[in-house]
Amino acid sequence: MKDRLAAAVKQSRADYTEIRVERTWSSAVAFRGRRLETATVSEDQGGFVRVLNKGYGWGIASFTSLDELPAMVARANELSRAVRVDDPIRLAETPPQSADAILELDGDVRGVPLAEKKKLLDRYNSAMLAVSDKIVDTQSSYRDEVSEVWYINSEGTSLYQLRPEVVVSGTAIGRRNGNIEKGLESIGLRKGWNSVQNFESQFRVVAQRAVDLLDAPRVRGGAYPVILDNELAGVFIHEAFGHLSEADFVYENPQAREMMTLGRRFGKPVLNVGDNGAEKGLRGTLPYDDEGTPTQDTPLIKEGILVGRLHSRETAAKLGERPTGNARAISFRHAPIVRMTNTYIAPGTKGVGFNDLISDIKLGVYACGAFGGQTMLENFSFTAGWGYMIRDGKVAELVKDVVLAGNLFQTLDRIDHIAGDFTWNQMGGGCGKGGQFPLPVTEGAPHVRIEEALIGGDV
Amino acid sequence: MIDRVLETARGKVDGADALWRREEQTTVAFESGRLKAVGISEEAGVNLRVLAGGRMGVAGTTAAKPDPKELVARARASAELGEIVELAFPSPSPQSLPPIPTFFDRTANASLAEMIRMGRLLVERLSRPDCQVNIAVQREVADTAVGNTAGARGEYRATGIAVTADITRIAGDDVLMVYDQYVGADMPSDADLEALVQSVETRLTAALTIVTPPDGALPVVFTPAGLAAVVLPLEQALSGKTVLQGSSPLAGKVGERLFDERLSIVDDPLTPGRPASRPVDDECVPSRSTGLVERGVVGRFVYDLETAARAKTQSTGNGRRGVFGKPHIGYTNILFRGNDGAHGGHTAGLGGGLLGDIDDGLIVDDLIGVGQGNVISGAFSHPVGLAYRVQRGEITGRVKDAAVAGNAYDLLKRIGGFGNDGRWLGARWSPSLLLEGVSVARR
Repeated sequence: MKDRLAAAVKQSRADYTEIRVERTWSSAVAFRGRRLETATVSEDQGGFVRVLNKGYGWGIASFTSLDELPAMVARANELSRAVRVDDPIRLAETPPQSADAILELDGDVRGVPLAEKKKLLDRYNSAMLAVSDKIVDTQSSYRDEVSEVWYINSEGTSLYQLRPEVVVSGTAIGRRNGNIEKGLESIGLRKGWNSVQNFESQFRVVAQRAVDLLDAPRVRGGAYPVILDNELAGVFIHEAFGHLSEADFVYENPQAREMMTLGRRFGKPVLNVGDNGAEKGLRGTLPYDDEGTPTQDTPLIKEGILVGRLHSRETAAKLGERPTGNARAISFRHAPIVRMTNTYIAPGTKGVGFNDLISDIKLGVYACGAFGGQTMLENFSFTAGWGYMIRDGKVAELVKDVVLAGNLFQTLDRIDHIAGDFTWNQMGGGCGKGGQFPLPVTEGAPHVRIEEALIGGDV
Repeated sequence: MIDRVLETARGKVDGADALWRREEQTTVAFESGRLKAVGISEEAGVNLRVLAGGRMGVAGTTAAKPDPKELVARARASAELGEIVELAFPSPSPQSLPPIPTFFDRTANASLAEMIRMGRLLVERLSRPDCQVNIAVQREVADTAVGNTAGARGEYRATGIAVTADITRIAGDDVLMVYDQYVGADMPSDADLEALVQSVETRLTAALTIVTPPDGALPVVFTPAGLAAVVLPLEQALSGKTVLQGSSPLAGKVGERLFDERLSIVDDPLTPGRPASRPVDDECVPSRSTGLVERGVVGRFVYDLETAARAKTQSTGNGRRGVFGKPHIGYTNILFRGNDGAHGGHTAGLGGGLLGDIDDGLIVDDLIGVGQGNVISGAFSHPVGLAYRVQRGEITGRVKDAAVAGNAYDLLKRIGGFGNDGRWLGARWSPSLLLEGVSVARR
């Protein structure tokens, strides 16, 4: 395959040419309630070509028919030449890479019979249904894949990567009359079959929570001191700050550049944030990004000060900074854009735990788990799976519908305590941007305290 | 392709249906007002479903030259693990399929130069020194063929074009984002593009002043774009699937008046000029429109073949499938209508003429995090993305750092008014709705 791609690159008449070809083997099992929805094995494959010419824009082609490769290279070149640009597009220098990067498969999913996968998911699904007769419905899914990715560009980079992935998730739906609540468990790993065994108790816990939430009141709206658990703190930093650190948001926008000037203070000295695509064994981990740049640990906030951002080769060249290995595409159907990998809030003082954060809060909210988050850059939401009121320094009653309204400049700066109990939260699902969803990412954080945050609800 | 696959399946399984689809997309992207990239994408694939020993299995492939034998074998292996389903594939329709235009030559033949011209026009009209303007023009041409072993066949070509405008204005630490789109099967006229410009400018201009948000239980006008959080629970609850699973709060409520008696909701695959319109669904069921809610009364749920078989009813023609996975329920075009049927189009003013009686309240045009809570319960709670304060019937400015919450089923029991600004947004048509007693919290 490498030779075939190298030949196609050689024949290209464009100044810069890159080709990515993917072949993905995957299997999927889904249950809905007690019924099996599907159990399937699929193969998906296709190619992506992107070219650039001096004084012209990007020409892009994606296709499922690999026989068309030489024609698509020529077509991409024509498209590039249809786009005259005054401000030339440049790519930051990166040393050519040549490697076969095989990630650990940890039990190759291709060797496990589909019936075994059905059995595993059936166990998790049944564990949720067995919790209570109030669990009226479930949605459980198992999906694995092994993706082979070839990447070659006209600057001498030639890579073959083998990327595994496995995701098991379950939603338990509890109902009493018109009242409906849900609990969600999701495990997503860049590994294989061995890594998703023995999670029955976690699935039982979320089903029990769906039942418990049936009796929980809605949280009252207003501003509270809020403690985020590890999972929600991870989603928080992804939405609150991660997306703003993606340089494609600032590189063509002078006002945005000014707002995100390196050296600006965004938080108190307790706050340290980064993105690390090279951390071993996580779902957002890759040896190389989809432009062939090696991934790395990129500090973004150091002691409250903005110190870095995430780049593709194009955004790095424009801002005179170095590529960080964050150009990613969800598949051959898309161009790489600037994305996060494994984004984290670094742990605070060792030994500082949840109890140290809660003790002086008179009335507050302990927001736990994550149904999701979304950002409009300055303002963002992050939706907890459930929450507890904090009363007089203690965890009190369970509450539901806990959705936080964040503001980049206010919420980050109001983080006043960070515990030492850091964990990576390896969930399924993923991040969406520019029509590309779901991109596998990981978030990591300890417990985090926000002095004051807005929670929606009846006031 | 379909015939070869079905022919291969015949005799090896009890029955089968298949979908073949080929899509070509052309995209022109302007970033920060400058043409930056042009891309094409070509994709073709086959999805096969079989019934073998009463059990259902599926298989799909994007291979350029798929091997029908391999595909059938994979679908049979899938069926061995599958559930027993008493599914009957539809026979050839005695009447011809409903005549609905889905293919427009002007769209299919639009040149790159024409797409670039439209993008440039929008860039020129929307450029302001303090704003970043991103425009994308995307055209799609798709060929679809569906068929089954009962002999039914459906084939059509369809076009679609989407023009999207993303405007970001950063002033100091204030970030304002305004988004709008034209989506159709036929090319937009210059008047359509001008309406898009006006819609963006109206919302941008009204947003330049920032005011303090109110709080309490207030009247809120949800614009067609802002309505998503209210619509989503209904879309989930009206799906035959959630009804079967026991998770729909509307299950068992057919015939009951649960909503404002002026509210009707229709799923309509036969609306001319819409990209989601089609003569036949992805399971060979001829298209027809379905009254989901009629004058406040729960009408019919939507079904695909499998859920209809389980519920002992007929498919409503809402089967949808991709290359991978099995067919599932999907809406086509969803229309929200008040009984007056006023059609203002999106040149009408912000608020759709509903502001007059509002002493203090909001217009909500965009909420953040829609779809991420416990949606089907009807409860929603979201920070505002783009919202305006209304005082004594007038827009006084944009509000930030506020969150709105409520329950969709409760709020739609009594609708304060239907706006005169009905419009398409993707596959949904609706006017603005004035809803009373929406919780607004602020910091």
